[in-house]
Amino acid sequence: MKRKISVILALLFLFVMFWAQWNWKHLSSFPSIISSFYSKEYCSCYFVVELSEEQCHDFARQWVPISEFKLDKENRSVTVKGLGRTNTAKFQSKTYGCTLLNE
Amino acid sequence: MKQILIFILVLFTLQCGKDLSPFGGEPNVTPLPNRLKPEWPNPDWKVVTPESVGVKSEKLNLVEEYAFTRTGDETDRKGRRTDALVILRNGKLIYEKYARNFKEDKVHLTWSVSKSILQTMYGIAVKQGLIKLDDPGYYHYEPLSRDEAHKKITIRHLLNMSSGLAAEEGYESGPLKSSVIAMLYTRGRKDMGSFCADLPLRAEPGTQVYYSSCDTNILSAILKKVYGAEEYDKLPFEKIFKPLGITNVTFERDGSGTYVGSSYLYMTARDLAKIGYLYLNDGVWNGERLLPEGWVAFTRTPAPGYKTTPYSDDLSQDNYTAHWYANTGVPNRGIHEPWPDAPHDTFAAIGHWGQMLYVIPSLDLIVVRFGDDREKAFIKNDFLKLIKESVIR
Repeated sequence: MKRKISVILALLFLFVMFWAQWNWKHLSSFPSIISSFYSKEYCSCYFVVELSEEQCHDFARQWVPISEFKLDKENRSVTVKGLGRTNTAKFQSKTYGCTLLNE
Repeated sequence: MKQILIFILVLFTLQCGKDLSPFGGEPNVTPLPNRLKPEWPNPDWKVVTPESVGVKSEKLNLVEEYAFTRTGDETDRKGRRTDALVILRNGKLIYEKYARNFKEDKVHLTWSVSKSILQTMYGIAVKQGLIKLDDPGYYHYEPLSRDEAHKKITIRHLLNMSSGLAAEEGYESGPLKSSVIAMLYTRGRKDMGSFCADLPLRAEPGTQVYYSSCDTNILSAILKKVYGAEEYDKLPFEKIFKPLGITNVTFERDGSGTYVGSSYLYMTARDLAKIGYLYLNDGVWNGERLLPEGWVAFTRTPAPGYKTTPYSDDLSQDNYTAHWYANTGVPNRGIHEPWPDAPHDTFAAIGHWGQMLYVIPSLDLIVVRFGDDREKAFIKNDFLKLIKESVIR
């Protein structure tokens, strides 16, 4: 019985590894989605649409919570940390709005 | 065993026939009705009572009730969450209301409505003779020359959402493999056009309709090559917004300075109505033809790729034309009108989370609705039915 469970677990592990390898490009960039989405959409909501801080948090909020948030009004940028990754979006101008800074 | 195999074979053959049969006739795209006297907003829309242009105020109250009655919890972002509603008839503004801190002069994120304005940029480029609809994309944009299959993708295929590129247009539903999320926020954000052009092909270009933000951002990148970065930066502002008197507008770009034509145009509801009015008037604005002849007919014609796109229930919700949507359906293809209670000639620009611009030529109506719906509580057909019923003559 024990041996059977070990074999099943080993197969399961192999399957997960194979799946992870197969989807590595998706998996490796996934954690960045939370902070990049939050920073970009908050930046545009606040500096382009000019809604309140509270409304912009409500707009950019996702299912996965963020761990750090910094709204830099002087430099017109928004920095967010989530799932261990940090991203910053910066307001360029009224014409061109906000852009995520390159990683 | 043999019987089972024969049964499976028959089933498979039947399925193939059902899925890939070309639709019978041409879609019925009625010509735009003649308009007697356009009322150009100069510089802004003329405001009149609904009754003065044949619309019943009491019926408009039902439209307002539908759009603005909160049906869910704000903190949970549930229910219908309308931010703006603007309705025009005969070129005059008859209804306008805002909510959730929006107002007349506040821009709103339009999401995929941006795609339809990027299509306007193509109308300009075609009229200037800088680009032809059947040009292969790689003529103008090197990343599309990566192999023979990619070289077959034309501008028309891209405008018809029929490039065949294996994009995955899922937002909340499948964030891991969504190419639109990867394009906007992670692997593609530095240069969205080149990220998208690098996708493999899932189908022969032109043969299948698959709604994809990637197709739009490749189009945007192509325009940048055609015009050169400096001219391209000014293109939407000088060639579209300025002639229409639109000054309060933001168009965001990716890390390489290319407009995110798929998603990031910000406009006021009144100004978006001007885009609708340009199309209602067949691409003519204040006596000047901005879009080439036939462009609006092209805009209203369902994508030819529907002929050979395998049937799915989602198809009838798309009804994609050339970066716009039309209420035509696709005859003999099982694709019904997406808004059966709206006039047949309704066409629209539509965006994520409830952004809408409707043009209804037969009723001379323009409707702009902005919102932030996080669930499917705003039913477009129900909304359009109420608007149609408000017209008394």
